[in-house]
Amino acid sequence: MSFEAKRCGVQFNPPSIILIYEEKDSRKVRKRIIPVRNFSKYSDCGMAAERLKSHSRHKEYLDGVSQSQLERLHIILRDHMRGHSLEHSLASFHLNPDEDLNKLDDDELARKKGQMDKLFERNRRRKDDPDFIYEVEVDFTKAGQEKCSWDEESDDGF
Amino acid sequence: MAGDAGSIPDLDQEKYDADEQVKIICLGDSAVGKSKLMERFLMDEYRPQQLSTYALTLYKHTATVGNKTVVVDFWDTAGQERFQSMHPSYYHKAHGCIMVFDVQRKITYKNLANWYKELREYRPEIPCCVVANKIDADLKVTQKSFNFGKKQGLPFYFVSAADGTNVVKMFRDMIKRAVDYKQNPSDFMDEVMQELENFELEKKEDSSEAAKDGLTESPELV
Repeated sequence: MSFEAKRCGVQFNPPSIILIYEEKDSRKVRKRIIPVRNFSKYSDCGMAAERLKSHSRHKEYLDGVSQSQLERLHIILRDHMRGHSLEHSLASFHLNPDEDLNKLDDDELARKKGQMDKLFERNRRRKDDPDFIYEVEVDFTKAGQEKCSWDEESDDGF
Repeated sequence: MAGDAGSIPDLDQEKYDADEQVKIICLGDSAVGKSKLMERFLMDEYRPQQLSTYALTLYKHTATVGNKTVVVDFWDTAGQERFQSMHPSYYHKAHGCIMVFDVQRKITYKNLANWYKELREYRPEIPCCVVANKIDADLKVTQKSFNFGKKQGLPFYFVSAADGTNVVKMFRDMIKRAVDYKQNPSDFMDEVMQELENFELEKKEDSSEAAKDGLTESPELV
């Protein structure tokens, strides 16, 4: 049986990941509540996400959900356990394009990646899309080569 | 010397000396999409090996170049500064390098200069390319010319890990260049190492010859 994940979210009490998915064979849309166990306000969200993603009972259902999304959902759960509001959690995912992300720790970075993943998922071509092509080649060399403003300050070897 | 640089005890980096083994590293700032590019190229070919302690994900891939089968290890690295001390082991014995930036974030483009400088300190000659990722966010960016690659004489690719544009081509080109490089290494240190290894081998052969001669009671083998 194969499943297609539609949407994924959290429930605070008891802490759970909620998955809306479609059963491919029956085309029925169902809801799966995955309790998040052994998880506290001190837990590592990256590891918790990895554990869930490879969990024998859930992994088939979570196939279409990226590990980074699961990590983000765990961050929201943990923020809640630490007494932060949902608004606070969502604001922390906000991305400033000038920020140096190399300086962030794993958690903070995961928050930023969440923002980027939205665009990625929107533009993503999946393997099971009917019009999926593995090898997509586009030649951009003929495009009008206007100078990129990022090259203007030439003090750093550019 | 080699012992210092390849300081990841869980990994045997000696294997990259074998003819059919190639190591390609993927560099760039945090969140430019390095892992996403790897995943798009390899699809579900292999489950990557995660070495969280070393901020490293390894992807294995089998490629055919000409009529030869080559095993490619892709080293997907972390951009975060706190893993700076791991960098020498990333570069160690690498045969190719893919440098990625995010077309939506100028800082990741500006940082290429730092990544490149460091790369060349360790691997002065290995083939390298510059990859502008996330062009799906705004295709207009592909009308611009980014000078960094050109100035360094590096091939440049506009790609999108999301819709797949030019991802496979970029990886195939790099694998081919890495294999070519391995067959004709131009790094001075590589040549010196090669010479030393050959010398060692010759010495060993000589001494085993000598040992054989010394064994007077052993029968001659025809």
